Amino acid sequence: MGVIVKKVELTWLDRTYVWPVLQGMAITFGHFIRNLFTTTPNRYTVQYPEMKREIPDGYRGLHELKRFEGGEIKCVACFMCQEACPARCISIEAEEFSDLNITQGFQEKRPAKFSIDMLRCICCGMCEEACPKDAIWLRKDYELAAYDRLSMQYGKWDLMNTYSDADGKAHINQDPTPSVPRRTIAL
Amino acid sequence: MFLTFALITLCAALGMLLQKNVIVAGLCLVATFFGLAGLFLLLANPVAAAFQLIVYSGAIMVLVLFVIMMLNSHEEEPAQASRPVQRWLGVALAALLALGSIKLVSASAGVAALAKSGAAVPTAMTLQKVGTTLFAEHVLGFEVAGLLLLVAMIGAVALTKRNL
Amino acid sequence: MDKLASLLHTSPATAWMVVKVIIVFSAVMLLASVWTWVERRGSAMIQDRIGPNRAALFGKIRIIGLAQLLADGIKFFFKEDLVPAEANKGLFWLAPFLAFVPALMGFAIIPFGRSFVSGGVTYHLSVLDPGNGMGMLYPLAIGGMAVYGVLVAAWSSNNKWSILGGMRASATMVSYEIGISLAVIAIFMSANGYDPSDVIKAQGHTPWTWFVVRQPLGFLVFFTCMFAETNRLPFDFAEGESEIVAGFNTEYGSMKFSLLALAEYSHLMTASALIATLYFGGWQVPFVKDPTVMLSVASFVLKLLFFAWVFVWVRWTLPRFRYDQLMHLGWKVMLPLSMANLVFHAWRMSQGH
Repeated sequence: MGVIVKKVELTWLDRTYVWPVLQGMAITFGHFIRNLFTTTPNRYTVQYPEMKREIPDGYRGLHELKRFEGGEIKCVACFMCQEACPARCISIEAEEFSDLNITQGFQEKRPAKFSIDMLRCICCGMCEEACPKDAIWLRKDYELAAYDRLSMQYGKWDLMNTYSDADGKAHINQDPTPSVPRRTIAL
Repeated sequence: MFLTFALITLCAALGMLLQKNVIVAGLCLVATFFGLAGLFLLLANPVAAAFQLIVYSGAIMVLVLFVIMMLNSHEEEPAQASRPVQRWLGVALAALLALGSIKLVSASAGVAALAKSGAAVPTAMTLQKVGTTLFAEHVLGFEVAGLLLLVAMIGAVALTKRNL
Repeated sequence: MDKLASLLHTSPATAWMVVKVIIVFSAVMLLASVWTWVERRGSAMIQDRIGPNRAALFGKIRIIGLAQLLADGIKFFFKEDLVPAEANKGLFWLAPFLAFVPALMGFAIIPFGRSFVSGGVTYHLSVLDPGNGMGMLYPLAIGGMAVYGVLVAAWSSNNKWSILGGMRASATMVSYEIGISLAVIAIFMSANGYDPSDVIKAQGHTPWTWFVVRQPLGFLVFFTCMFAETNRLPFDFAEGESEIVAGFNTEYGSMKFSLLALAEYSHLMTASALIATLYFGGWQVPFVKDPTVMLSVASFVLKLLFFAWVFVWVRWTLPRFRYDQLMHLGWKVMLPLSMANLVFHAWRMSQGH
């Protein structure tokens, strides 16, 4: 299928080149003047460290391990995310915990350790898809950089607290219910 | 000042002759022209100096260097077999030329006037004077030269572009 | 001036000369280096970007990115000064100076303000006093020398792409110099003199008697040719990232490269000074008959800066030409146009206008 290209007929004014050049220069001068009188925050460019783009919904950034109102982790250590992860960056150690005070239904398993190697993570969101409990989310934090490799290993408490400030929740670094150390299962 | 410019001219000219590399020789020639322009300035003829720079170093030498670069003669050319007849003929012709020019200069009215009055400062040449001289006194020569150049140009075009 | 002269044990004329040389050349060099910044910020604004604005003095004072100049200078100064193994070493060193010196020297003839009399001595505000006999031929001659910087830089690098750039630059220079010369000759005729002071005097203080109004065709030719002469876009054929790597300066780095870049901008300054002098009345202030010295200098500097800005403006508006289009334009358009301009003005003068 051919496309008929319309040939532009140049008028004598166009053929002098001078007039079109002047037109073009008027356009660029318009842009120049407009930008000259626009303050930096109002321009198209986002001045990154000072200004930040609004991240759209559905962005896949740093993970969060969700928790219940009382601070108990939602994760049940089912290893679905670990299996689903194409980059194999999630590693979980499960443990049983004492259900003497049952606050969350009938739950008896939770991760003792839950670590994500952010150097390997590709932020694909497969863990979020795989999770049966909606316990892991990928949210909007994208400034993931550190000076050494070890700081890029995110542990259970790091992941539970990543968005505490943004959501106005308290930082936690201890499970509200004690674990049962004898029956720790390691995979 | 005279010594500076004369030294520049002479050294650059010698450099041009002795240099094996064609481009460097060409640049030496440019330096020679520069020195010559300085000498013209000292002779109270800034117009000739300007034209020396515009025409010779600004246009002709650029074209010559352009052609040398285009022919890509980076390598220093191997020494040619000596041709004694040509060499002696060349030396003889150069000597003849030098003798003739010395005779011409020493016999010219300007040198005679300089020898007589001693401190007479020549008035500076201006573009107006050059123009009047060229178009009033030497108009025939000027036109003939122009015609000659035109013929040369047409000939060059005809030789290089047989099918226009 | 007399005090300064007695302080330095020289005559006032010499002292004035030295002062002029220092002021003019340092001003041009400063402007040229500032113009690298103007070019970058200006292009950014034209293209709806922001441009360099982050370099800061002591990490705090940002002064709209002007510290970028210092940062670039320091960077160039401390970079390794490489000379390619196969290069012609002497010429490789010489080339940046060959480019830089003519670019600055061309400015010497430009009167940047009206002459004034002080203590019975006339002081001329141009490095070369009027009546030196060279007049406007001088910038043409020096402009012709400027191509050697590019040519020598290109050849001494011993790099095919560099040589291509140098060859293009030299061919461009030769073709466009003819257009420039013919346009300038028409001005010599109208001004009845070829000294820049004559040219400025002939233009007067009313904008409609400036040569841009009296010889618009000549102005168009001269202006276009100046772009080719300074190797600026849309005619920058000495360079060309997409075609010949970087062009004539491919092998250059550190201070030598920055000298080549500075040469380009000094050339731009000289070119805009020439345009202002020849077609826009030089230091004449519009509608002011006898301006004060400071006013005339300000007027000239304003015109100079405007045309230097136009060079930047055009660069970021027009696309590049192709090389054969450039040659076509030079020989088949600019040359006949400047010829027509010359003949037309000669005819008008013969009619007694």
